[in-house]
Amino acid sequence: MDIEVTQTGATAGAQRVGRRHLLGAGLGGAALSLLPFLSGRARAEAAPEETTTVPKAPTSDDIALLASAQQLELTVRDLYDSAIAAVAGWSDTQAAVMVAIREAHEEFANSLSGLLGREAPGTRSDSLFDGQVGSLAGTPDEALMAAAELESGAVATHAEILGALQSFNGAELIAAIQMAEARHCTVLAHLADSRDYAVLLVDEEAASLQVNG
Amino acid sequence: MDKSNSPIVTASFDRRGLFRIGGLTVAGSALVAACSKSQAGELGRVGSGEDTPKLEDGIVDDGVLLRTSASIEHSIVAAYDHILSSGVLAKDSGTFPNLGDQTELVTLLQAHHASAAESFNALAVEVGAEAWECGNPRLDAIFLDTFFTRVEDGAEATDAAKAIEASDDALRDMINLVYTLEALSAASSQALVHQVTLPSTRVAAMGIGVRSARSAALVALAINPGGYLPGMNPEFATVPSDPAASADGPPQTEIPLPVAIASRFGSVAPITIISGRGDENGVRLKLIFETPSLNSLTYSFDSCDA
Repeated sequence: MDIEVTQTGATAGAQRVGRRHLLGAGLGGAALSLLPFLSGRARAEAAPEETTTVPKAPTSDDIALLASAQQLELTVRDLYDSAIAAVAGWSDTQAAVMVAIREAHEEFANSLSGLLGREAPGTRSDSLFDGQVGSLAGTPDEALMAAAELESGAVATHAEILGALQSFNGAELIAAIQMAEARHCTVLAHLADSRDYAVLLVDEEAASLQVNG
Repeated sequence: MDKSNSPIVTASFDRRGLFRIGGLTVAGSALVAACSKSQAGELGRVGSGEDTPKLEDGIVDDGVLLRTSASIEHSIVAAYDHILSSGVLAKDSGTFPNLGDQTELVTLLQAHHASAAESFNALAVEVGAEAWECGNPRLDAIFLDTFFTRVEDGAEATDAAKAIEASDDALRDMINLVYTLEALSAASSQALVHQVTLPSTRVAAMGIGVRSARSAALVALAINPGGYLPGMNPEFATVPSDPAASADGPPQTEIPLPVAIASRFGSVAPITIISGRGDENGVRLKLIFETPSLNSLTYSFDSCDA
């Protein structure tokens, strides 16, 4: 339906709005309406630079440290394998604990692999293994005390690594491993019939372990 | 005026015209919306009451986290002081008949936590925060006070529930609390590692946490000899028959036994403690201790005087 309106006057002809004007006005309005959104987005993207400088993922330096931590864990796992096989006379409880701790070290190494990806060495430190393998021997109690000392050394090593790591993810994983290994010390010493609080609570932490390839 | 000489223009409102008007309206409104500065006016008010108080911003930084850790350690020291001064550790436990007197161990652990509080405060001062010299308000009020009241005094009757007597085995509950607080200290230190920014602070926190983790393992073995790993021993304590709970009464909530190596990795999970005598339905007090969070931090505007 058309509605006819009759308008008179000299300016009536000039008020007609053409299609081009309409499109132009529409595009201009749309562009202007987008301005606040675009400027807000620009501000939102700039904000994270001001929040934190601590990286979440491991840095290149962190990767070297985490790789040495993985080698340490694989070495300790192999040392447990050696002790479990070489020492005679394990009680059922002792054997169960030794195997469980051995499994724990393997899982620590696997978790570090997950963080390192292709950079994970995936091999033990032969020099560390050769230097320690002789101590995890003798009677079960002697081997248990040697294993407790080894765990204490691992705790000290992880403390050094933690002090150098920059990334949150790497530090978080190393802390979780270190905390578990701390409990291992007490359990192994208790299993070896030690009732000395200084030994069970490890008043003197062992020296850190050297991982050299 | 001679109408015959004026130009006659016919403006038609056909479909095209409607589109034009619609388009212009949309574009115009978008233009106005983009250029306008919307601002909500103030709400009207009746009367002359006080202004709404403005809460201070709770900024979480290394200083707040470290003094919160100090507050946790202070709370543990105070809790051990309460336990030691009560003399309960020298008594017998029906639930743990072989426990023995753990006074020496708890005294040793208390000294560690006092030292830990000093260390955390020193770290807090290093990063520009004020030292925190008292317990954590939330841990004290919601957890520790509740625990001690239920274990030592029971609970008064209410309109909906009967009174609950004091614990049927106070020593069992106290030594379980010692385990819980050692595990809490370890977990809190571990949780700090992914919150603080300086590697040196992480190492210091873990030094304290490692000691607490070992203490937790040792206390677990005192409570649960042979409980080196999950599943090695019975999962729950065998609670002796309680004369107060008659044979036809409801069974009491089982109390889980702690384990020396409770998980493969160090855990920051909540720690549950079940204690006290059960209510009329046999339900004991259950508290879940957690590492510090936003509602338990000691912010820069908090103080021990408050």
